[in-house]
Amino acid sequence: MDSRDTSDASPAGSRNRRASGTSRRRFLQSAGTLAGVASLAGCTQFMSGEETNTTETPEFGQIGSGRLGDQIQGGTSMKDMPDLSGEITIYSGRGEALVGELIAYIESLYPELDIQPRYEGSSQLVQKILNEGQNSPADVFFSVNAGSLGFLADENRTEPLPSEITDMVRTEFHDPDGNWVGTSGRARTIPYNTDSLSESDLPTDIMAFPDQEQLRDSMGWAPSYGSFQAFVTAMRILNGEEATKQWLEGMLDLGVEEYTDEFAIALAVADGEIDAGFTNHYYIQRVLADREDAPLATAFTEGDAGAIFNVAGACVVDTAADPEMAANFVRHLLSAEAQAYFATTTYEYPLIPDVEPVGNLPTIDELNPPANLDLTQLSDIRPTLDLMREVGISV
Amino acid sequence: MAPETDSLFPSSQGGESSLPLGLTLLSGAIAAAVVFPLVWILANALEVGGTTAFNLLTRETTVRVFVNSTLLVAVVTAATIAFAVPLAYLTVRTDLPFKRFWTVALSMPLVVPSYIGAFAFVSAFGPRGELQSLLAPLGIEQLPEIYGFTGAALVMTLYTYPYVFISTRASLKTMDARLVDAARTLKHSRWEAFRRVTIPQIRPAVTAGALLVALYTLSDFGTPAIMRFDVFTKVIYAEQNSLSTFGQDLAALLSLQLVIVTFVILAIESRVRGSDTISTQGTSTRGAEVRLGAWKWPALALCLGVAGLALIVPVGILTAWLIRGGSESAAASLAFQWEYAFNSVGVSAVAALVAGLAGLPIAYLAVRHRSRASWLIERASYVGYAVPGVVMGLALVYFGARYGGRLYQQELILFPLLIFAYVVRFLPQAVGSTRAGFLQVSPTLSDAARTLGRSPVAAFREVTLPLVAPGLLGGALLVFLTTMKELPATLLLRPTGFKTLVTHIWSAQASGHFGHAAIPALVLVVVSALSMLVMLAMEGYDVK
Repeated sequence: MDSRDTSDASPAGSRNRRASGTSRRRFLQSAGTLAGVASLAGCTQFMSGEETNTTETPEFGQIGSGRLGDQIQGGTSMKDMPDLSGEITIYSGRGEALVGELIAYIESLYPELDIQPRYEGSSQLVQKILNEGQNSPADVFFSVNAGSLGFLADENRTEPLPSEITDMVRTEFHDPDGNWVGTSGRARTIPYNTDSLSESDLPTDIMAFPDQEQLRDSMGWAPSYGSFQAFVTAMRILNGEEATKQWLEGMLDLGVEEYTDEFAIALAVADGEIDAGFTNHYYIQRVLADREDAPLATAFTEGDAGAIFNVAGACVVDTAADPEMAANFVRHLLSAEAQAYFATTTYEYPLIPDVEPVGNLPTIDELNPPANLDLTQLSDIRPTLDLMREVGISV
Repeated sequence: MAPETDSLFPSSQGGESSLPLGLTLLSGAIAAAVVFPLVWILANALEVGGTTAFNLLTRETTVRVFVNSTLLVAVVTAATIAFAVPLAYLTVRTDLPFKRFWTVALSMPLVVPSYIGAFAFVSAFGPRGELQSLLAPLGIEQLPEIYGFTGAALVMTLYTYPYVFISTRASLKTMDARLVDAARTLKHSRWEAFRRVTIPQIRPAVTAGALLVALYTLSDFGTPAIMRFDVFTKVIYAEQNSLSTFGQDLAALLSLQLVIVTFVILAIESRVRGSDTISTQGTSTRGAEVRLGAWKWPALALCLGVAGLALIVPVGILTAWLIRGGSESAAASLAFQWEYAFNSVGVSAVAALVAGLAGLPIAYLAVRHRSRASWLIERASYVGYAVPGVVMGLALVYFGARYGGRLYQQELILFPLLIFAYVVRFLPQAVGSTRAGFLQVSPTLSDAARTLGRSPVAAFREVTLPLVAPGLLGGALLVFLTTMKELPATLLLRPTGFKTLVTHIWSAQASGHFGHAAIPALVLVVVSALSMLVMLAMEGYDVK
C-alpha cells in the first residue's frame, strides 16, 4: 500500500537526544515538519511546495537606509530606476511571508503606484493565466522556479523584456530570448554535521552517495518536496532513468530517513539526529541565523545533479496593460535593495554582480553547477514522480 | 403511504401527479448549470487522443490510483456507517447518560476541516511527532505507522462520520417507535426488532449520509496528501504541478475517471437506499427507551473514544501552535484580522442561501413527482460534489475569463463565480437534507389545504414549507459549514485581496508561521461549531 517509512531505521539515541531538546527547538522541528506537510495539504492544492519556512521578520521600514541599506554592496538603487505608476497586478508564486514586504516596500516608494499581488502556487498561477487567456488581469508573473516561467514562455504568453534588464544578470540566469529573468538563486547542497563529519568525508560526486557506508542510517531527504523532485529530474536528464532509479534504490538501501520538509532536515542535521542530508542552501543559513554555533556546514557536489542552481524569477505576461511599466517593476526586483533583501531575508543568492550572498557560502562564481542544463526542463517532474513511485517512494 | 421500489430508473407510476412543467424546467435548469463545468473537463479529456488516453489510463500508476481511491471510499464509507449508526442509536433510543452532551460532541468533528485533522494526527502520531516525543523517555521508540492507507482511512472516517450520524439521528427521532414496540410484543428479540423494523426505516437516511461521505472521500485532497496515500486527487494535483502538456492531459483524464466513479457511486446509492418511507402523518412517537444496563460502560467508552480522538487531537495541536507561536517572530502581513472571519461568514452565508433555494425545487420534484426525469435531475445535482475544488475552480476561471469580458477583468463576476462554485460543489447537502424533510411531510396535508380552497402555491407556502423548513435550514447550514472550510476554489476565484479564514491559514502554514495559522483555524472551528449548535438545537429534521 504505502512505501517504506525509513524513519524506522533511526538510531534510538538520536530520539532521546531530540526528546530532551528545548521546546523552542522542538517547535521549530515540528513546525518544519508541518510546513512540509502544509505544502501538500489540501489546503494546499495550490502550493508549489517551495516557499516554506522563514525565520526572519523582514524589517522593511529599514530598507534602503537602515539595516539593509548598510549592506548594499553594489547594483543600482531603486532611486535610480524609472518611476512606477498606475495599477500593476502581480501573480506571485512566491509566498506572501517571503516577498510581501518587498512588494509593499516598492509600492510605498511611489504615490501613484497601486500593486495588486495575488499569492498562489506557481504552477496554479501558470494554469490560471492559460485558462484566463487574453482576459487575464496579470501584468507580472513572479515565480519560484525557472520551469514555470519557461512553460509560460513556451505557450507564448510572455512579453519579452528589454535586454537592458535581462543583461543585469548572467546569461545562464535569463531566457535567451528575454522572456524571463532570474531574480534570486537557490543551490542544491549537502548540509552536514561538523561534529560527526568533515567535508572530506563527503563525496563530491552525487552518484557516489549510495555507496558511502559511513552514512548508513544517517542521511535525510524530503522526496515530496518540490526542489528535491527538481533535483531528481536533473539527475534523470543528466544521468538517465536507469542510473537515477539505481541511485534512489541505493539511497533507500542505505537507510535514508524521510522528512516532509527540507528545513526539518537542516534542523535534524544541526541537532545531530542525522549526519547529512539533501537540501536547498538557504535552509542551512536559516538554521544558522537562529543558532550561530550549531555544528552545521554546507558541502557541494561538483558539476552534477547534486549541484544544480535554480532561480526564482519574473516575466511580463502578454496581457500586461502597460508592458513597459511591468518590465520596470521586474527591473526593481533586480535593484540593489531587492537583491540585498533576497540575500539577507530569504538567504538566497543575489543574481546581480557585486551583491554577495550572506553567510558562509561560496560566491556564485565558485559554484560548480552542471553545464548545459536547461533550468526550464526541471519542471517536468511527471516522469520523475513515476520513477520515485516505481521504487516505492510515496509522493 | 406510498412506499415503492426505487429502482435505478423508477417509472412514474409512484408519482403523485404528472410532472409540473415550470418546476421541472426550473430544476432541470439548475441541474444543467451544476453539471455545466464538467463540459470543460470533458472537452479537455477529449483533446487527448484515443491511444494516448488508453495508454495513460492503463499505466501502472493510474490503475493503482484507481484501486486506492476505490478502496479508500469503500472502507471509509463502511467504517462511518459502522460507527455512526450505533452512536446515533445510543444517543436517540437508549438511556445513555449525558445524551445531549454526546450528541453535540459527536457531531462536532464535522466542523474540523479534514486537512487540519490530518495535520494534527501527523504531528501528534507521526514518526517524530508530539506523542512519540512524550513517550520517548519511557523507551517507546516508534508508534504504529500513521502514514498510508491506515492514516488516511482513520482521519477521513473521524471527520466524515457525522454526516451519517446526523442524518441517522434525525431519522431515528422521527420514525414511529411504536412499530418497534409492536414488534417486541410479537416476541421479536431486540435485535430482530431492530433488523426488521428499524433498519428499513432508517436506511434512506443512512445511505443519504453515506453518499455524502463517499463523495467527500473521493474529492478530498488534503487528507490523502498529508497521509501520503496516492488517490485521484493527489495524482491530479501532482500532474497539474508537473507543468507538462502531458501532465495536463492526464489530469483531465483522471478527473473524467473520477466523475465516472461518482456516477457509479450514485447508482449504487440509488439501489441501496431502498424504499423511501413517508412519515406517518407527522405524528411519530417515542417508544420506550432502551435500557443499556451494564452495556452503559462500553457505550460511554465508544462515545468518548470517537469524540475524544476526533476533537482533542486537533484542538490540542492548534493550542500548542498558538502558545508556541506567541514568541515566534513573523511577517507582519500574516497578522490575523477579523475581516477574514467576516469574509468567510459572508460568502458562506450567501452560498448556503443560494444552495438552499436551488435545492428546494429539486428535492420537491424528487419526492413528490417521481419520474425518470426527476430522478436524473436529482442525481445530476450530486456530480459536482465529487469534483476536486481545483478542477472546478480552473473550469470556472476558464469560462469566466472567456465569456466574462471586462466584467472578469474588473473582478465584478468573481464573487458570483465563487458562489456558483460553492453551490455546484455543495448543493447535494442541501438537496439531501431538504429531500429528507419532504419525505416526512405527508402530501395529504397539502391536499387538505387544496380542498379548503388554497391554490397549489399557497398550499405549499402555508402548509408544506413550514414543515420542511427544518430540513431546508439544516441543509443550508451544512452548506455553510462546508463552504467555511473550502480552500482550492476560493483561492482561484476570490477577487485579489479578498482573504478568508482558510486562505489565511493556507498562507500562514505555507510559510511555516504556525502561530498565525492557529488563530484563524480556531476561529474557523468556533464559528462552525456555533452553526452546528444551531443545527442541533432544531435537531435538523425534527418536524415537531
